[in-house]
Amino acid sequence: MEMSNENEPEVDIKASEIEYVSYGFEHHLPLIMNLVDEELSEPYSIFTYRYFVYLWPQLSFMQAFHKGKCIGTVVCKMGEHRGTFRGYIAMLVVLKPYRGKGIATELVTRSIKVMMESGCEEVTLEAEVTNKGALALYGRLGFIRAKRLFRYYLNGVDAFRLKLLFPRAEPQPFHSMAADGDDSHEYNEHTLWRKSPLLPTQHVN
Amino acid sequence: MADVCEGEGERQVPICPSIPSGEQTVWADASSLLHLACNDLRDGELIHGENFNLFAAMSALEIMDPKMDSGMVRTYYSVDEAIEYGAAPVPLSFDKTVDVQGTIDIMDHLLACEATWHKGCSLAQTVFSCLYLLRPDRTSSHALLHSYCRVMRASCNAVVCTVSDTRTNEEEDLFTMTHGLPLKVDGDDKCLTMLHAVEETIARQLRACKAILSKKRVTEDIEPLQNNPDLEEGFCKSLLCRLRFRKHFYHVVTNMKRPQGRGLELAKKHIACCFEELDSMIKSAEFLRSINALGTLEDGMKSETTASGSQPVGFDSTLNSRLSAPTPPRAIETISWKKAAEYFQKLLHELEIICSYNLDPVFEGVLRFVVEFQKFQPELVARAHLQHLLVQDGKLYGRDSVFAVICKASLLPEVAKNHDIQKNETVVQLGQLLITLLRVLCTNISWQRRKLGKILQDWRIIHVQLELAFREEFGDIAATSSNENICMKICRHILIWVEEQTYWIASRFLMLGFELDLYSTGEYCMVYWYIYIILIKLAEKTHMRAMTSNEISKRKGKKKRDLVKDGGKDYQLPPAILFLQCHLYLAEGLTMMLAALRNEKQIYLSTGPFNSEHERFVQHFELLLKACLPDHVSYYSFEETTAHARLSNVSMYNCFKEAQRIAKELRSSFSNDSDKMAELRRIEQVAEHNSVALAEHLRAYYYI
Ligand SMILES: CC(C)(COP(=O)(O)OP(=O)(O)OC[C@H]1O[C@@H](n2cnc3c(N)ncnc32)[C@H](O)[C@@H]1OP(=O)(O)O)[C@@H](O)C(=O)NCCC(=O)NCCS
Repeated sequence: MEMSNENEPEVDIKASEIEYVSYGFEHHLPLIMNLVDEELSEPYSIFTYRYFVYLWPQLSFMQAFHKGKCIGTVVCKMGEHRGTFRGYIAMLVVLKPYRGKGIATELVTRSIKVMMESGCEEVTLEAEVTNKGALALYGRLGFIRAKRLFRYYLNGVDAFRLKLLFPRAEPQPFHSMAADGDDSHEYNEHTLWRKSPLLPTQHVN
Repeated sequence: MADVCEGEGERQVPICPSIPSGEQTVWADASSLLHLACNDLRDGELIHGENFNLFAAMSALEIMDPKMDSGMVRTYYSVDEAIEYGAAPVPLSFDKTVDVQGTIDIMDHLLACEATWHKGCSLAQTVFSCLYLLRPDRTSSHALLHSYCRVMRASCNAVVCTVSDTRTNEEEDLFTMTHGLPLKVDGDDKCLTMLHAVEETIARQLRACKAILSKKRVTEDIEPLQNNPDLEEGFCKSLLCRLRFRKHFYHVVTNMKRPQGRGLELAKKHIACCFEELDSMIKSAEFLRSINALGTLEDGMKSETTASGSQPVGFDSTLNSRLSAPTPPRAIETISWKKAAEYFQKLLHELEIICSYNLDPVFEGVLRFVVEFQKFQPELVARAHLQHLLVQDGKLYGRDSVFAVICKASLLPEVAKNHDIQKNETVVQLGQLLITLLRVLCTNISWQRRKLGKILQDWRIIHVQLELAFREEFGDIAATSSNENICMKICRHILIWVEEQTYWIASRFLMLGFELDLYSTGEYCMVYWYIYIILIKLAEKTHMRAMTSNEISKRKGKKKRDLVKDGGKDYQLPPAILFLQCHLYLAEGLTMMLAALRNEKQIYLSTGPFNSEHERFVQHFELLLKACLPDHVSYYSFEETTAHARLSNVSMYNCFKEAQRIAKELRSSFSNDSDKMAELRRIEQVAEHNSVALAEHLRAYYYI
């Protein structure tokens, strides 16, 4: 398997040296912002980070530290969406030299567990159709590619909407047609959103 | 910070004498209060307002951050200022050679902008980044530039009209955002007259310079285009093909707009001319580059937006950015001139296909045409033109009433189409569903698939409603078996057709998943299984429709499913159904093969730590399950079918063999349909490869 760390020196680390921490202190925020700034093309304003911290402090930022250095982060949220309670993964980054060691998988797994325990029915996110690494990672965790979003990103690349449905407590028969609200707002919101990668298509309220 | 304060609902506005205090309002100085409030905030804290949601957070800008604040990178504050500073001189130069050269660069860059616009950027940031287009009057002294700008605006306007009329662009709405742009300028409608005059002059200049070159006597006394006699011919030619391309392109888009496809023949002629002129434009690059002592087309031009390789004068994409989008404007990249020329070749090719279409009155034929057309992955403009042709005034091609189309599709006799039943409210609704379906089929396939998934429900519901409506009007349809009564006949036929159509939509929905790359290998098994059960239903309904019209509907004693599956034994099935059967066998074979591989070899498994295949099944087929397509289907039906699949089972081998056999047989029936022939060949190949692979496997299995 190919990992995208061509010019970066391999870092020799043991799994036990990685410490996973959820957002705790104000001083974490600049670390996270630097990390995202470095690895993702899209600029995020301070407001965006604040928004997550304020509403989902326990969930928003899960970070991986190696010898005191912040090397990876995942940013998530949860909320009501058309009658279902769902989780959303907004950003996921691992520094290049630390990739391919299962750190992202661990970060995402931990977040998903929190979401599951908090009563989410499903988890969603968007990823560029060309982002092989992320797609493989989420695929292994059981996400399906539910939809394709045309030219979702500024660079003209399409996105996949990935979804992970949690098992229900007991199998329920499918309710008949017309029971569920329709999805027709999606497109409007999508238009508003589409120029910013990693954005949720829906907001909480 | 400004955004956040707004959220608090107590905006601090500077005391503004132009808004006087009144009964409801009083102005007060709040700066001291603000100061105090600021002291309460610790480092890094922000005020959060109730209505400050994620969207607001994401749209907020950090002022003076060059990544976000597009205002930072602009050179000028306004178009007028840019012009004042000489950013768009008229003429471009008093040296006529330089002027001509620069004009050609503008034309080329505009072509690149136009293609960039077609590919999804806003008009304001692309074509209307041209300062000359933004101030129509300024160019009036420069006939060449003026006429080009006019035809450019007129063409863009024509395209915008087609696209907004058809509303194919739901997800691509940036395309038609023209607010604040001088798109419709007085006199642009007569652009061709002006263009023609300019073209004439240059044609004469070209003839004159050729005459001089061949030492003939010049009869007319004509002022040359520019000063350098060595370059005269090259410049004249370069300009002529560019002007003519615009002229023909304008004719193409306006003729394609004419009602009922009346302009298609003419449009086709102009498309042929466009191709010719586009070729000349591409050839002219060599000449234009030689002046600049640049290499040939091939080595450079990766990102250059002009044939000559020079930067054009008179463009500024930052000026308009406020007009361009709801989100904070971002810098865009204009595609290269070479890519733009290729784009137009592709577009024209697609338009040519539309113009060559025979306006098939049979609905199945229309569907096939649209599906085949989508395989070229046409961009918005081509798709909008297709839709414009298909749906006009709520009629097919603006010609055939929807009810007539439904009657024909349901294989009803001609007289049916005048029947009063078409005034029934539910029948009218069915007509609207049909129009919506055509529209949806013209959208980009990502959006199309989502939309198809949703309209499946509508088709299911209309079937129930039609049944009720018919019963209300004519009594129990099932009770009268004779077809004497035309009303009964109409009802029965339409109901069958609606079901068939619903399954067709479902199959398209599933197939598009492959084209969009939505299925992973571990999910193929369930996808093929679902395709298989949908195809059974589709074939069954298609068969029923054919039989109902042949009045041979009373074949008792056999289940419908068997009928479809062992067709050909006692009577010949029509090719359309055999074709479906072919697909059906293939899907069945693949399902069982993949199931066997996972059962025995543990490959292509669909697993994950948080959920099981069951959840993935429910997610992928949610919309089909919700619409009960087909009835009583669930994950357990899939599990039941596949749980015992084994590689040693010869039945899947037989499926491939059958698919192969039918595909071979069908060749003679579709010999004049090249698309179908190609598909048959593919089916044969897939079936053959898989049966060979299985045979190998079986051999290994038995001999080990
Ligand atoms: C995507 C990203 C977070 C992955 O981080 P990571 O720590 O290397 O991921 P993991 O080591 O946990 O990888 C887990 C699995 O994902 C898959 N994977 C990850 N990167 C991959 C790559 N470049 N190519 C193919 N598969 C890849 C593999 O299946 C891997 O399992 P394996 O190593 O056992 O084969 C990281 O590459 C990154 O930060 N990229 C830039 C930002 C980004 O794209 N974020 C995602 C936005 S949706």
